[in-house]
Parts: sequence; C-alpha cells; structure tokens
Amino acid sequence: MTAAYLARAGKKVLVLERRPRVGGAAVTEEIFPGFKFSMFSYVVSLLRPEIIRDLDLARHGLHILPLESTITPMENGDYLAAWGDHDETRRELYRHSPRDAEAYDEYGRLMHFMAQAVKPILSMVPPDPTSLAPSDLAGLLRLGKHFRGLGAERLHALVKLMTMSSADFLDEWFETDVLKATKSASGIIGTFLGPRSPGTAYVLLHHYMGELDGVFRAWGFAKGGTGAVSESIAAAARSFGAEIRCDAAVAKVHVNGRATGVVLENGDEIAARVVVSSLDPRRTFLELLDPTQLPSDFVADIKRFKFRGSSGKVNLALDSLPSFTCMPGIGRQHRGAFSISPSVDYIERAYDDAKYGAFSRRPYMDIVFPSMIDPGMAPPGKHVMSVFVQYAPYHLNGGWSDAKREAFGDAVVNTLEEFAPGFKSKILHRQVLTPADIERITGLSEGNIFAGELALHQLFFLRPAPGWAKFATPVRNYYQCGSGTHPGGGIMGASGRLAALRILKDGL
Amino acid sequence: MITAARWDAIVIGAGVNGLVAAQYLARAGRRVLIVERRQEPDDALDIGWVPTPVIRELELERRGLRIEHADPWITAPLDNGGTLELWRDVGRTADAIRRWSPADAAAWPEFCARMHKLATVLARLYTAPPPDIESHNPLELARIAGLGLYVRRLGKQTIIDLARVLPMSIAELLDDWFESDALKGVLGAVGVWHLRQGPRSGGTAFNFLHHHAGNAAGVFRPMRSNLSTILLSTPGIEIRWGERARPIAGGVVLEPSGEELHARVVVSSADPRATFASLKADLDPEFVRAVDNIKCRGVVARGMVALDGPASFTTLAIAPSLDHLERAYDDAKHGRTSARPYIEAHATSNGLDVHVQYVAAPDAGLKDKVAAALNADPSQLTLETPHDLECAYGLTEGHLYHGELTLDQILFMRPVGGWSRYRTPLPGLYLCGAGTHPGGGIAGAAGRNAARAILKDAKRS
Repeated sequence: MTAAYLARAGKKVLVLERRPRVGGAAVTEEIFPGFKFSMFSYVVSLLRPEIIRDLDLARHGLHILPLESTITPMENGDYLAAWGDHDETRRELYRHSPRDAEAYDEYGRLMHFMAQAVKPILSMVPPDPTSLAPSDLAGLLRLGKHFRGLGAERLHALVKLMTMSSADFLDEWFETDVLKATKSASGIIGTFLGPRSPGTAYVLLHHYMGELDGVFRAWGFAKGGTGAVSESIAAAARSFGAEIRCDAAVAKVHVNGRATGVVLENGDEIAARVVVSSLDPRRTFLELLDPTQLPSDFVADIKRFKFRGSSGKVNLALDSLPSFTCMPGIGRQHRGAFSISPSVDYIERAYDDAKYGAFSRRPYMDIVFPSMIDPGMAPPGKHVMSVFVQYAPYHLNGGWSDAKREAFGDAVVNTLEEFAPGFKSKILHRQVLTPADIERITGLSEGNIFAGELALHQLFFLRPAPGWAKFATPVRNYYQCGSGTHPGGGIMGASGRLAALRILKDGL
Repeated sequence: MITAARWDAIVIGAGVNGLVAAQYLARAGRRVLIVERRQEPDDALDIGWVPTPVIRELELERRGLRIEHADPWITAPLDNGGTLELWRDVGRTADAIRRWSPADAAAWPEFCARMHKLATVLARLYTAPPPDIESHNPLELARIAGLGLYVRRLGKQTIIDLARVLPMSIAELLDDWFESDALKGVLGAVGVWHLRQGPRSGGTAFNFLHHHAGNAAGVFRPMRSNLSTILLSTPGIEIRWGERARPIAGGVVLEPSGEELHARVVVSSADPRATFASLKADLDPEFVRAVDNIKCRGVVARGMVALDGPASFTTLAIAPSLDHLERAYDDAKHGRTSARPYIEAHATSNGLDVHVQYVAAPDAGLKDKVAAALNADPSQLTLETPHDLECAYGLTEGHLYHGELTLDQILFMRPVGGWSRYRTPLPGLYLCGAGTHPGGGIAGAAGRNAARAILKDAKRS
C-alpha cells in the first residue's frame, strides 16, 4: 500500500517480500488440489474507500462480492438470523423480542453515526499530547473541537463505547442473549478479551467502520479470495512503476546514523534513501535493527507492546455443504456467515479457557463458505469452508505441538458437529492454523492478526509507542507502515497510506 | 408547592457525604434537617481520603479529626507460612519485598513515585466538580485549560502514563513492573474493589489509582478517619433517625409514617437509582433510561468479627495472586459466589472489619469459609451480603459505592452523562452521595461539591 502510494508520487520503489507471494496474511492459496482458500484473513470490509479510489483497485482486479447474512445457531435448536434485507432482519428480531426489534434501528443509527464520528480520526496522523510543537497543539485542538462538535448525547455514547465491555454496552440496548452474543463476538475478534471485558465495545465500533461501496457494516469477499485484494494493490503499485520481489527476506536494516538500505537473508545488499517496514513493531525494531541503535526507553516501550495472538483458523475442503439443525437443508443461508455464538456466557467460557492458557473447548467461530459465492474457489460440486476460531492463545500451557494443533482442530470440528450433525463426514481435507502457525508463516508476532492488540492503551498516539505514532522512527529515514501503527489492523490499508503521505511530506 | 417550611434544606442520609453537605449548608446559614433510615449512628470509622479543603473549611483538625494510618498498611500470608508486610516507608517496604524478589524490591520506589504522580492528578480532579467538557462557559474552559497545564507541568511521562495506565487492567500494569505473585495479589486486590470485574479487566488500573488518591506514596489502601463521628456531634443540625425519606416535589415524604416535610432544597446522598426510583413518572424517559443503566452490581459482603484480644495485624489481605482474584471473579461472572473469595480484614479497637469479594449469589457456606480463613469463631462473625445491604439500607443491588467506578461511570459520566454536577432534572433536588463525582472511597468530596453547587444556585436565583 505504501509502495503504491510512493510509486504513484513518482518515487522508485522496491518491495521485498519474504514469502513467495505478496499479501502477508491476505493471501489466497491452493492448499489442497482444486481447493483455494483465503488462508488467514477471509473477509473484506475495512479497506478505506478513498484507497480503492486513489489506486483504482477495481481496474486492477478487485471485485468484492457481498456477504448476505449471518446465522447464529442456538443451543435449543432455534436460530437468530440477520439478512441483507433490513425488514426481514427486523421481522426475525421481532420473533425473539419486539423490544429489541424496536431498539435495533436506533442502535444502528447510533453506531452508524459513531463510526462516522470516529472515521476522521482513523484518517488522521495522531497528534502527540506531550509535544509543544504547533502542529501537535493544533491537532489536539482540532480533535477537541471534533469531539465537542458531536453534541452531548453522542459524546457520552462515545465515552461509553471507548471504555465499556461489549456485553455491558449491549445490555443497555437489548435483552435477547443470542443477539448480544453475536454482536459482542465482533468485539472480541483479534483480542485477548472476553465480551465482558471493558475495552471490547471499542472493537465493536472498529468493525462497524467497515465500508463497502459506501454502505456501512457491509462485509464481503474478494473474488478470488483475499489474496486478490493484495494482488490488485500489487498490480496498482506495479502500474505506477514499483518493483516487487518475492522470496526476498530482509535480514537487517543498514543503519549508519540513518537508514541506508537493507541486507537480505541471502546476503544481497540493497541501498535506498528510505526504508519502510510493514512488519509488526517487534520485528520492525527489535529484529531488523540492533536494539543498541535505538533509545532504551523506546526499546522498553516496544518490548511492552502486547501481541498475545488469540485466534486460529481452520480451512476445510468439503465433499458437500453441511446442514445445520437450526435451519435444515442447503440454501441461501450458506451464502452468508454462520456465527457460533449462542450466548454471551458461551463466549465468556471460551475466553475463560484461554485466560488460563488452554484453547477453548467450545470456541467461538465465524464460518463462511467462499465457494458458495465464488465458485472458482473449489472443484465443481465441492466446497471450501473457512472457520475463524477464537480462542487459541499463543501462549498455550506447555506450548503448541502437532498433537495440540490437532486436538484444537478436533475441538472445532466436534463443536460444529453439535450444530450440524453429519458435518464431520463431509470433510475431505483439514488445515488447522494456530497462532504459532500464523506467526511462523506470516511473521506476525505471536500470531496477532492485528499486528498488536487493539487495546485502548495501544491505540492512537500510543500505537506502537508514545511519541512514535507518526510513522517516523527514532532512526532517520526508517519508517513504519504496518498495522502496528495507527489506526491498526484489519485490512484497512490506512496505515500504509498515512505512512506514504508522511514520507513524501518529509521530502523523499 | 412550597409551604412555609421549617427547613431550607433536607438531606437524605447521614452518611459521610450527607453529613458534609449538611455542614456546608448549615455554615452558610441554612436550616438543615438530615433524615436517616438507620436507627442510630454506629461508631465505625469512615474509609477513604478526607480531601484537604474539607478538613480546612470545616476546621476538622480543631474538632478532633483523627486519621488512622496503619503501619504496616498490609500483611499478606504467604504459601510458605511466612508473611509479606508492606510499610508506609518506601525503603522499609523494599527491604521486605527483597526477601522474595530482589527485582521487585528494586522496582518498588520508582513504581511508588510514578503511581503517586498519577494519583495526584486524580486528587486534584476530585476536589472540584468534574470538568464539563461540553461547556462553552469561558470560566469552565479556562479551568479545563488550567488542568491541562497542570498535568503538562508534571512532565511528559505523566501524560503518557495517564493515557496508558488508566484504561489498562491492573494485572497488565503490575505485570509490567513486578514478578512476585504475593505482591501483585495484594496490590491487584484494590484494583477490583467494589467492581464486578477481575484484575484482567481494563479500567481496573484506574480503580487502583482512585483508591491511592490523597494517600502517601507507597501506600495502596485508603486511610480511615472518625469524620462521621465528629460531624454527628456538631450542634445545630437536626437529625431524624430511623425514618426513610423519599423525595417529592418541594420536599420529602417520610416512610412509613407518610408525613410530608417541605424545603426548597432536597439533597439526596442515597444512590441515584434509589433516589429516582419513585420519580420516574416526572422525568424524561431518556434520563430514566440512563439512570436505570447505571451499573451498580454489588459483589462485596462486609462483616465484623468480635475478638477477645488485639489482632496480630493491622490489615490482612487474602489475595495470594492475580490468578486467585481472577478465578474469584470468574465465579461471580457466571453468577456464583467465589469458591475462594478475596478476603481482607482490618483490625479495629474491638475486632475486625471484613471485606469479602465476590459475593454474587446466596452461599450457605460463605460464613464458615470466611471465619476459617480468618481463624475466627463463626459465631463471632456477622456478614452482610449485597442482598442484605440492599434490604437493610436501600442500597441498589447492595453496591456500597452507589455505582461501579468503571471508566464509563466517572467524571462527567457520573452518575449519568450531562448530569454530573450534583443537579438533577427536578429543580430543588440535588445529589451528593458516592454515586456522584468523585465516587466511593473518597470521604466527603461529593458532599462538599454538591453543597457548593446548591449555594451557587441559591445566589443566582
């Protein structure tokens, strides 16, 4: 992303990628013959629309197919459905609780507004409140004005969203447990927190900022899998003249008073005026540099930056689609997501397991069947199934092993079997990815999908470290542009864009 | 309707904030009546920092204010049979810690200094009404700017710490600094005081600092004082014991007698949900909704143990590790009373004051469990669960702080957004209890702030 923007501004840019293909965690791979998977990241929403426009990604092959519904199977055999059609969703909610159906629209309006209110902050370079520089003071003032401009009621709602747990926040609105569970599930994704942990209401909002074709809260697949998103950005970058080299792992950044280039693992040295790292803060500073090249306070801050990956992924090749007890048969429900979040307590118990170092015996899962929407992903008649799983703590008691990975996979499959009897017999192949695998394959420290936890004390001017949230680093001509910088993870590309703008402003 | 009233102001509740509010009003020449549902005063000490302006303005020192500074301020039994004692003196504490962890002992002085700085900022915020960030009043904006400058002068590190530490969990904060489970357990326990949260929940670091405000560096338990006892002995303020007052337009109605008392001002030190319970029909539904949404899930049982002789400690904390606290919370989270609760006992002149957390459901074995942990005879232990507290004192959900001190319920959000300045939508009705800024655990600050708001309004009209 940064490369595309820099190349667009006429700079000569070289992208170095350790893996054989671009994308990092946003890759499509044919894991089993004929079955293609968005291996890690699997849905698209958080990509900023100005980026899609600026880089003309549609022309470079980005085509997003909407995800139509979310079904939550309940333990009593019933379900809760959210459909693409708003009226249908309301009728469905009404079945569970007339009161909640009423509150739903008001809630939607509030969240929509809140997401709008926070959006400008995502596209803004965070001002440093400890600095007396005029630009920082002006930034703080602008921020203050922005918040006050919201009006009292919305400001209070924002304070609540920033500080409360998603369960408590939703308790103020709704009474249907399964509704609260499904909504709060989006508040825990990528965090090491449960729905009753304060701070999760913010993540709720973070995910509400998804914007697809200008429609809020719309999620979708990229045609060809998430890798297609990366490929389209790469194509855009190439069209602007950037060069992309895969299988080229960077070992170290050369520093001689300032960054002067990189040395690759194969020993090649490449000189450049500016080096930009999109790796997470731990790798950017503690691996690519020698910590002695950095101020010791800064090193301490980076060491303190929390990753604690908590999510796993199970990719399945299926002989045929499973039928869920709550909504038997195969139908339009398979064109959307299934959320295994039957109650707030269910998710909270899943978290309890992880808190003490075990994977959830009955995890929260978000399931999609990409081949239902994009038939090219699987051989005719067959299907691929993507299961996002939480919690699988990186720091598992005793560490991860092959046996534990398979035990984790079994927990996922067995739990699903309860909701969709007969499902297990349809599995042709199974790939289980733990946070340790995610770290090994993508390089994301501790397998954290956001390149650093999205906790309140790791956001904005504190991301990744106080005083260094503006993409520059203590080393001159060395920049950071990954999700570990403001505004953080999900495939938003916003960090990459802001970093590029900063680098250009610094006069590259 | 205002009839010829004997009183200018009626204060509901003779708790520490009600008494302080009454004092300020009486000193400004108002005729004040306090109505208290308890039958008689108890002689228990008040827990919490008494802010300096309250001491000065009410001349409390001259009147015999005693502040108890326990030393050591905490004793924690250790698994190996020893004890960890933390003292008022930072160096002495470091020596005590060194026996278990040299690294923690080395970190202790810096930790104390950094936390004390943050608590100083809170202490300053607590002796005034909460900053009104929506205000367009130049005076208020100037005050907020002054606060900003004040924080800035404390240095860059303090600004970063404020932003970083307040939303953190106490477990993360302590893990940043220390390795010893016992030390983290006794410190972490304050972080969850009166919260239905565990030490791994965000915002518990704030709760920890809240209770540090006004304290000496290195002391992480609130002080105790005889504030109520002094205030009760002031002549000129009438108190009616054993009657419950419910606010109505222009006064209060006493229950169960039904007698109506009139006054231009009614100040309630009861919790906000209880205060407004009977007034919902007169209030804007949005306000009612906000009040109903105040989280005050009581999880603390308080008790007393009668002892024959003096206790062998000043304050004993049974919270051997953060995991112990977290598991105790897990039980509460799923609606049970902790199988192994966090227990703290404070020695008084005739026994022990006991704090038991988390008590979330009836538990027949609780009393025996607490007595056993304290080596006490169960027949000498009286325990009031949140349910008992609600029945006996009308405390909503038995929450002693009238509302949890979570980040969404402090400052201008306490008790509810837009109504944080002791006034209510009903003219003449004010709040002055722990449910308002700065909340429980600070003795008398809310009462003082409320009385000043009332007197300011009177001047205006």
